[in-house]
Amino acid sequence: MNTAAAVSWQKNPALAWREIDDETVIISPNDSVMHELNETGSFLWKNIDGKKSAAELAELLAETYDVSADVALSDTQALLEEMSSRKLVMTIPERRVSS
Amino acid sequence: MSASAAAGATPVMDRLISRTVEKHRPLSVHFDLTYRCNERCVHCYLDHDDHGELTTAECLKVLDELARAGTLFLTFSGGEIFLRPDLYEILSAARRLHFDISLKSNALLVTPERAARLRGFGVRRVQISVYSDVPAVHDAITKAPGSLERTLAAIPVLLEHGLQVKLACPLMRENLMAYRGVMALAERLGIPYIIDLTITPMMDGSSGPLAHRASVSSLLPVLRDPVLHACKPQPTALAAVTMNALPPAFQSAVSSGIESQAYEDLPCSAGHNSCYISPYGDVFPCVQLPQPAGNLRREKFDDIWHHAPKLERLRAIRESQLPVCSRCEIRNYCERCPGLALMEGGDLLGAYERACALAEEKARLAGVANPLSALHREQDAASIQTPIEAEFASLVSDSSSD
Repeated sequence: MNTAAAVSWQKNPALAWREIDDETVIISPNDSVMHELNETGSFLWKNIDGKKSAAELAELLAETYDVSADVALSDTQALLEEMSSRKLVMTIPERRVSS
Repeated sequence: MSASAAAGATPVMDRLISRTVEKHRPLSVHFDLTYRCNERCVHCYLDHDDHGELTTAECLKVLDELARAGTLFLTFSGGEIFLRPDLYEILSAARRLHFDISLKSNALLVTPERAARLRGFGVRRVQISVYSDVPAVHDAITKAPGSLERTLAAIPVLLEHGLQVKLACPLMRENLMAYRGVMALAERLGIPYIIDLTITPMMDGSSGPLAHRASVSSLLPVLRDPVLHACKPQPTALAAVTMNALPPAFQSAVSSGIESQAYEDLPCSAGHNSCYISPYGDVFPCVQLPQPAGNLRREKFDDIWHHAPKLERLRAIRESQLPVCSRCEIRNYCERCPGLALMEGGDLLGAYERACALAEEKARLAGVANPLSALHREQDAASIQTPIEAEFASLVSDSSSD
């Protein structure tokens, strides 16, 4: 199974966040840790909607920025994993991908 | 002076402040929902009558406009916010708009159920004023018998529900030496605190609260107290993750409020990346700078924020260009507030007695020999010059009459 395609991602609903001039600041209310996303990170953050998979997010990234599909997927997965480890995003494992 | 157990700014916060100051984004907004209150603190700068508060719908519209303008840090205050019957509706809307929400409250009306609801609405922190750990002292200031006991009972309730609590202790004549007790209380509870020497005039400019302000000479033991200067910044947790092909995308740090070196030559954040909104929809640069820039019942926030002449004039001020203070040799010890300069000295750009006297005492305590503020230096020069001029004028008059 292709994990990147099968699992969709959503934002942690407990977070405070704001996009300010193409950069996003996120605050975890439990520990008051502030996180900062640059323009491309913000682009992915905006598109994390509980429906899209890492592969779909990477596809959008590659369409918008000058980056190859492979690199976009690698970078997207790395960012999602990092944000997941910080409890900023979470997966929705039940998602079924139509074949 | 304010001494705080809260942290200084982190690199992430500094960058955020720099960006928002440079581009005039209202990063931090203080929104008073009501001036009505269930305490009657002797030093309070507010008129507690309701002169026509924003309706629920108007409050929600304001929140929507703030979110679109780029506000992240939103503090709801009053008066006592729990006296707004629509508080939960407003908090719910703020939650949907992803604000970082803080409250200021006297906590008298906090119950476990209310604390749970606050947490559910994403409230991160509640700041509570505690004037003393001695009930008679605290209650004499709030004029509410039993208020300290009820306020202190609320703190563990808030903490148990996952809310952060911060104590604020404004110092005045009535509780001048109470800060040690409040600090010890905060330390026992494991929560941050802020000791604040600022007592301001009423928002209409009347000076009633100033009768409670401690004199500079009576503050010397406070200024000398090494414990206050021992309030160190909290540790910074900084993490950076670099994406492979794109610029560094993601950094983190402990969030700590908005004090920062990033303000550089600006008097403060007011009007640059922060502002104050009254319960009647007036937009001010700061709660301590009551010059309304516009009203949200008549104008959109964005129009006020970007185009109000009062805000534009404020944004042009640089500390290095202040007519008196820029020449002051002890300005590093000064915590001049533009709002207080206006309210107490009548000039937004001017020096005012209280700040100068405090700066001199702080400089003296830091070992500066014979510290003299620019204001006092000029006053001294004028008082010497005036008799000489008078004598000269007298001589001229005498000689011309010969």
